[in-house]
Amino acid sequence: MLDLYFTVRSVTPGQKGRDALNAAGLRCRLLRAPRAAAPGGCAYALALARRDGPRAAAVLDRAGVRVEGQWLRSPEGSFERVGP
Amino acid sequence: MIYLDNAATTLRKPPEVAKAVLEALKRCANPGRGGHAAAVRAGELLWRTRSLAARYFGLEPEQVCFTANATEGLNIALRSLVRPGDRVVLSGLEHNAVTRTLTGLGAELVPVRAPLFDGAAWLEGFDRALGPGTKAAVCLQLSNVFGAVLPVKEIGALCAARGIPFVVDASQSAGLLPVRPGEWGAAFTAMPGHKGLLGPQGTGLLLCRAQPAPLRFGGTGSRSLDQAMPAELPERLEAGTPNVPGVAGLGAGLAWLSRQDPKRLAARERSLLKTAAGGLSALGAELFTGPDQAGVLSFRLPGADPETAAEAYAARGVALRAGLHCAPLAHETAGTLPEGTLRLSVSPLTTREEIEAFLRISRGIVPRFGRKKSTCYLLSNRV
Repeated sequence: MLDLYFTVRSVTPGQKGRDALNAAGLRCRLLRAPRAAAPGGCAYALALARRDGPRAAAVLDRAGVRVEGQWLRSPEGSFERVGP
Repeated sequence: MIYLDNAATTLRKPPEVAKAVLEALKRCANPGRGGHAAAVRAGELLWRTRSLAARYFGLEPEQVCFTANATEGLNIALRSLVRPGDRVVLSGLEHNAVTRTLTGLGAELVPVRAPLFDGAAWLEGFDRALGPGTKAAVCLQLSNVFGAVLPVKEIGALCAARGIPFVVDASQSAGLLPVRPGEWGAAFTAMPGHKGLLGPQGTGLLLCRAQPAPLRFGGTGSRSLDQAMPAELPERLEAGTPNVPGVAGLGAGLAWLSRQDPKRLAARERSLLKTAAGGLSALGAELFTGPDQAGVLSFRLPGADPETAAEAYAARGVALRAGLHCAPLAHETAGTLPEGTLRLSVSPLTTREEIEAFLRISRGIVPRFGRKKSTCYLLSNRV
């Protein structure tokens, strides 16, 4: 389940991050960030499996993609900020 | 039509360019603004083109910003670096896109003059001019009027050693010569998408290795509650809905170029210019040629005003450009004011048959104006 959301400011770092994660063999989906995970308004999110979080964070850091926040989506659809 | 005005725009493009434009018009919505399929498709198209350009120019994708043309890119670059009264060193071959922008900014323009095709002399000129208090330097890689190639890598090294931001105008060179902003230490490199990169008009790229100031303010599809423009590239420079069909065509042009052997393309264009120069010389034309020349050949026919001669060519189906080519400074440097020159410019899609047909037509035109001995301006042009 892709329930860990890494938010980025806009679509460009999102696309760069997606390509870096895919190249590292990590499955992810780039999507518009839900409002609850975008306090600044209009952002994008890379949705990942929770277990891939630490490795994904390292891959994105190496690619120079700045993550604005890490959010966990509950089965009910609410979001809890879990980092950074 | 025998189209030899490729320095203005490459009229002929690879067929996939028009196809990509049409496809984008039909299938792409506003990129970065929505999560539906048509918006995502548009966003992916921009990303693919940005990534392709980044690989082509040796940069990261976010350093590639889409502009409407090279002029917009140069405006962004110069407005980011220059304040009223600032001393700016520039080559004496710059286009009005540079000189008018600097004049509008109230800068002190310090043009470097040198013989057209003497790279060492240009370098020496910049070395002398890049003195204390210089706030920026601007140099084109390839003159849009004379086809002279300037040593931007070496000029960039001079700037780097003196801590002077360097702006390169790659309007005529992109797609024809290697454009490597990282190796040049260039803060900004501007180019159109519709010339050597074979994209449609209304497209351009600004390659940023420094933080620019935005020229346009507005929506970016990100951080909408924040009223300041984003600090991050490319969004910082790309407010408003982008030219998605144009970028699609530019991407197709870049993809076509990426599949070619650049050395072969350059050698082919040099060979076409050499053929044209040889034929014109035999007709007594005044030629502006030199060892380090690419893409462009300026000439004048004996006894003919360039505009009148261009009209005569146009009446016979030959597209050339005449006059000052929006670069009066270059003509002042070369001593070709006030009438300017006729300019012939080739592209990867120019054929040898077109050059031969142009020369046949020239043989019919020249006697109308009278003949005299050919003049070649090599290293010792009138500077």
